[in-house]
Amino acid sequence: MGPGRNHTHSMVLTGLLFAAALVLAVVEGMLPPLPIPVPGIKFGLSNIAVMYALFFLGAREAYCIALLKGVFSFAVRGAVAGLLSLSGGVLSITAMLLLLFFFREKISYTILSVFGAISHNMGQFLVILLLYSGMNMWPYLPFLLVSGMIAGIITSTLLRFVLPAFRRFHR
Amino acid sequence: MRFFKKTDLLIFAGLILISVLVFVGYRHFSADITPHAEIYYRGELVKILALDQGKEEQFSVPEVPEVLFHLYPDGTVCFEKSDCPDQVCVNAGRVGRAGEFAACLPNQLVLKIVADEQDPDAPDILVGN
Repeated sequence: MGPGRNHTHSMVLTGLLFAAALVLAVVEGMLPPLPIPVPGIKFGLSNIAVMYALFFLGAREAYCIALLKGVFSFAVRGAVAGLLSLSGGVLSITAMLLLLFFFREKISYTILSVFGAISHNMGQFLVILLLYSGMNMWPYLPFLLVSGMIAGIITSTLLRFVLPAFRRFHR
Repeated sequence: MRFFKKTDLLIFAGLILISVLVFVGYRHFSADITPHAEIYYRGELVKILALDQGKEEQFSVPEVPEVLFHLYPDGTVCFEKSDCPDQVCVNAGRVGRAGEFAACLPNQLVLKIVADEQDPDAPDILVGN
């Protein structure tokens, strides 16, 4: 039987993945800060959970997790952090959905992950641009692209290692 | 769906190429401009700093005395010390080229490097303005 055999099953899985995403974000926060002069650049390990939801549960579940993460960030770290998390998450999922829609089976998980990470960074950056008017995005674009690429490769590799464990949910 | 395809390497190369081009292009266009620094608190300009005076100074804005800035003789500024939990501002390091910025969002402070207005060639590509 496929993933999310019924509404309850899918709801519980989404909740679990949300919790997993939070734990990944906390663990990532404990790593030493990167010596890169761009605010907010990170590996985005919690994207692993979001990507799993998107690829194997559905778009609705993935957006749900992004929304929950945004609300959580808002509750714990304030309005700006919540908005950043929400915009990054929503843009990231939307970008991956678009890629899946246009390329179907021809695209690889790694590329999806890379563009998911890049658009997550872009989403956050756009919010900062809107909130603090007159910012210039050009100096930071290279860092956004390259760090998104590296983060995407790392998270998709980690997802690959974790997938066999998840297969057991779908029997 | 596969995890990795050979064509992915092409896409990576393309991304790196774009990054390098933008990086080089930006440095080229911003190299000769004399910028100044502006500090914003809650979106309002509270301090303007000249960067070409060769001064060295540690200061803070009166609205947020807990945050320390440092101006260096080579025309760069940085967040030296801050009471925020994530220290993103301090980790951003020194900024000195037009268009660069550092921000301490918990303290609602933004440090921007801005080109002087008389310079028409400044890379003032403003988004959302």
